[in-house]
Amino acid sequence: MDADIEELREKFLDQAFDEKTFYVDPAVTIEYARLCGETAGRFLDKDHPDFQAPPTYLASLSGRRSLPIDFPRFGIGMDAGKGVECLNPVRPGSTLTGRTHLHDIYTKTGRSGRMVFVVSRLEFFDEGGLHLANSDSRSVIREK
Amino acid sequence: MATRITISKIEDVEFGANLPAFEPDTSLAIVKTFATLIGWDGARFRDHEAARKEGLAGAMVPGVLSQGYLVAMIHQWAPVAEIKTIDTVFRAPVIADEPHFITGVVTDINEDEGLVEIDLTVANEKGETRVFGTASVSLPA
Repeated sequence: MDADIEELREKFLDQAFDEKTFYVDPAVTIEYARLCGETAGRFLDKDHPDFQAPPTYLASLSGRRSLPIDFPRFGIGMDAGKGVECLNPVRPGSTLTGRTHLHDIYTKTGRSGRMVFVVSRLEFFDEGGLHLANSDSRSVIREK
Repeated sequence: MATRITISKIEDVEFGANLPAFEPDTSLAIVKTFATLIGWDGARFRDHEAARKEGLAGAMVPGVLSQGYLVAMIHQWAPVAEIKTIDTVFRAPVIADEPHFITGVVTDINEDEGLVEIDLTVANEKGETRVFGTASVSLPA
């Protein structure tokens, strides 16, 4: 691994740099599910005994910032992908706490040069502190 | 009228099976409503002309909506499936008002843990892959 990336990993990985609360509005999660084409009742019917937000709903939420304030600017970042890890159902009507940290930093080198990938992870917890899910946003930065 | 067979337990899943074809609604009306719902106000999600001015081929479907289509497809195939992880790569824009097709293939079955792995692809009419990813879902025994 490149020395500068190793240095960034040591300085920034697993250091929480943002915290934000999110109200999970039942009307929003139902509409979200409908627009995605969901057909399972537990996402569409607020009276369903297992009513919950669709699994990828959390991927649409973002913290106040996606990178630490002192993270170096290599170039222009682009959205390279998203991942969600579901640990427990997200119940509409609840308020979540989201904490963000950098989960991974790595590079790939192509014909056009080195690209830096940064994975920002937003961890979601319910009011009781139960860890519900992780939402990863992967950015790729082509160096100037 | 054809009856769609759905999966309700892991023993019903076959390695290498294709999930039933799923054609998502990528109409601009849906895309605009979705963008408004999640607070993404960019013109690129609302207006073909505005998107073209940004160098796109037309208004684009937000990546998280494409991800939602993938999960909806899994739930049409197996309504009781619980998504454990889904990871998607946005390779190229999905353009609103253009037909797209989603395919899914079962690539691993772990009966001991009740987990099934599925490779997923969103492609346009030309067969070009726009989004791809992998999901791990749990199913009852």
